[in-house]
Amino acid sequence: MSDGSQRPAGDESPVPEPDYTIESVTDKISSIVLVRPYGYGWLVGFTISFVLMMVLLLATSVLFIKGVGIWGVRTPVMWGFAIVNFVWWVGIGHAGTLISAILLLLKQDWRTSINRFAEAMTLFAVACAGLFPILHLGRPWVFYWLFPYPNTMGMWPQWRSPLIWDVFAVTTYATVSLLFWYIGLIPDLATLRDRSKNRVAQIAYGILAMGWSGSSRHWHRYRTTYLLMAGLATPLVVSVHTIVSFDFTIAIVPGWHSTIFPPYFVAGAIFSGFAMVLTLTIPLRRIYGLQGFITAKHLENMAKIILTTGMIVAYGYFIEAFMAWYSANPYEMHQVLNSRPKGPYAHTYWQLIACNCLIPQLLWIKWFRTNPLALWVISIIVNIGMWLERYVIVVVSLSSDFLPSSWAMYHGTKWDYATLFGSMGLFLMLLFLFVRVLPVISITEMRELVHEQAGHDESHGAGGTKP
Amino acid sequence: MMAGEALKLRFDRIQSVAIIAAVGGLVGSAIAGLVWPSAFFPAYLVGFLFWVGISLGCISLLLLHNLTGGQWGRLIRRPLEAGALTIVPMAILFVPIGFGLKTLYPWADSAIVAADRALQHKAPYLNPVAFLLRSGISFVLWITLAYLLNLAASIRDRKGGQAPGWLYSMSGPALAIVFFTGSFVAMDWGMSLEPDWYSTIYGVMVIVGWALLTFAMMIFTISLLARSEPVASAATPGRLQDLGNLMLAFVMLWAYMAFSQFLIIWSGNLTEEIPWYLRRLRGGWEYVAFALVLFHFFVPFFALLFRDLKRNSQVIIWVATAVIVMHLVDLAWLVLPARGEALGTGPRIPWGALLLVLVTTAGIGGVSIWCFLWGLKRRPLVLEEHPAHRGGSAHV
Repeated sequence: MSDGSQRPAGDESPVPEPDYTIESVTDKISSIVLVRPYGYGWLVGFTISFVLMMVLLLATSVLFIKGVGIWGVRTPVMWGFAIVNFVWWVGIGHAGTLISAILLLLKQDWRTSINRFAEAMTLFAVACAGLFPILHLGRPWVFYWLFPYPNTMGMWPQWRSPLIWDVFAVTTYATVSLLFWYIGLIPDLATLRDRSKNRVAQIAYGILAMGWSGSSRHWHRYRTTYLLMAGLATPLVVSVHTIVSFDFTIAIVPGWHSTIFPPYFVAGAIFSGFAMVLTLTIPLRRIYGLQGFITAKHLENMAKIILTTGMIVAYGYFIEAFMAWYSANPYEMHQVLNSRPKGPYAHTYWQLIACNCLIPQLLWIKWFRTNPLALWVISIIVNIGMWLERYVIVVVSLSSDFLPSSWAMYHGTKWDYATLFGSMGLFLMLLFLFVRVLPVISITEMRELVHEQAGHDESHGAGGTKP
Repeated sequence: MMAGEALKLRFDRIQSVAIIAAVGGLVGSAIAGLVWPSAFFPAYLVGFLFWVGISLGCISLLLLHNLTGGQWGRLIRRPLEAGALTIVPMAILFVPIGFGLKTLYPWADSAIVAADRALQHKAPYLNPVAFLLRSGISFVLWITLAYLLNLAASIRDRKGGQAPGWLYSMSGPALAIVFFTGSFVAMDWGMSLEPDWYSTIYGVMVIVGWALLTFAMMIFTISLLARSEPVASAATPGRLQDLGNLMLAFVMLWAYMAFSQFLIIWSGNLTEEIPWYLRRLRGGWEYVAFALVLFHFFVPFFALLFRDLKRNSQVIIWVATAVIVMHLVDLAWLVLPARGEALGTGPRIPWGALLLVLVTTAGIGGVSIWCFLWGLKRRPLVLEEHPAHRGGSAHV
């Protein structure tokens, strides 16, 4: 963008790199699962994440025994870390569907290298997200009361509450993401079934591949289903975080009741989702030697998406601040122009501005978009920034709403932090397992790309997508 | 691939009609402005917002296409380039609004401001000088961009399809500028009609509406041009389908924004917010709102789900027409209820002003269309294919 690098697509390096053949693609990707022994690094990483997950187990056990009083939530801040973490994880879980569904429909071939991994990441992030509202319930064992089911208690959910909409939004999202991911995996599972030498693996992959034989009828149905699922998943990219934003906007708390929230939450979700994809894929491609599949072009494209969505998020912050002044509403003005930038949580606010608005501007420069280490650091900064953003939205508004007499400070306790870092452990542990048992890049789609690049692309218009 | 003689004649004919519409509409508007200013100015604002939205939409979509690429742009780049030029006459046609500030905007009336503390608070932002300055700066920026985009097009034509590198470098920052200035003038021109009311999504909602309008206008234009060569062979079903899909995306995006604003304000039900919707949901306006839900969202949405419809230019043109008409209705629904008291119709639909909207829209549109066709005639109607990308032409 900033240096004329944005040339027509035909000039850019192809994906994957041209020296791959259909055979070598299959070998390379499936070998991570089937041949390569797990290394030291994997074991260390897995152990650390496993220990963190044990911390989560401990924290939730204490929570179940003693109740939510172990957390920092007190009147008036009844939504603390739990909701911050929930929104953060759901946001991270947005990249997968965006990459899989929207980029597929937009015919962006480069998505092929990252979609499988991003979808897995989405599922694990949504799993982490789903934990928090349930833990926050107080009586988590009756979480199913959230669903409208016929019961003898004469109970029915309050449909005007966006929290109920959330239940449906998140469960729908999790279901569709899981199905989409699984359907995409089927041909690859068959490949693993056919190539694995281990009897147990053959049976396990064989069951999951559901009798895939690669007949043209199978392929035809597979294609149709995959496209239909993409169409179904597309609205979900927008709907989930929109409804999460309604959790705030429908309440009339100053700083929450803002009409820009839905699109700006969605942009923020994609922003953090792509940041997480970068945080994870940059080490992954290095460790497993996948630079030929996840190329500099991928990193750059993701960096551009982060830059774009980051600008939308920055616009959201700006318009919120401007409109708070413009509204002449004393509560809005106090909240957005006083509590946030000058109040007791001001340091958090300014850190979030630095992380989400200022530092990502470096991505205008091509060097930062293509240098993996720089990009990795920026992606982590964005992840931190997006967590802080949710912290500011949730905590600052609740701690200083309408009546000064009800203002009070909030701080997370050690159990809050244990749950947050523990959820990261769960997330990472699932990812470590995923890397070992399933192909991190879609073998099928990669083979297709190689086939097209080998000169069979006339009918696809792959070259000339630009003016 | 120069526009053939027959096509040129047709353009000339449309241009003469456009001149007649421009002169008739603007003279009619001028008379109305002198006789009945309280109805004229809101009506003029509606017409202005409609056509300036298309100019801005053309600039934005060109910039967007520079960034993303895609087959959809090949077909409409020429019309977009010509459409971007219409920002120049739109800047001149903004002048009458400058004369009507007091009639249109309560904040421009010092007597009203003196009695309203909130307006006094907003006075550093909402005052005639600042308002005109913001609009003026925005127009200068947009005209510069329209010029640069057309300059790049000329260079590309001379160099056989290779656009200059700076076109791609500037597009990112330029799009950010258009987005930012566009959302703020939208708030100035539209939202500040009711200066007590505020909504953070308003600017973006109006911009998205303009982008949708521009897509509809482009599909309309291309479908008309596709009745003869050279566009007939360039408008392949695949490209038309891409355009249709993009229009569908913007139909959804527009509805998403409009509905989000409605849901949040309706559920909040706060005294400082809800009157905006109350004014737009009674006295007959509720039927307009209902029609918007139906014909600005549901009908185009379901129609555009059908693949065959999108691939046939002579069918999709009807969906585009519906969107264009409904967007004018949408703008009228946004603007006119704000001035109900001043018009003396109270909450009821001001039929006189609504009729005037047709006159002002025709007048401004005549100028805009004339300018558009002038721009379209300057260059070949279909983009020369760059040899390096010829592979892409097989997209069907």
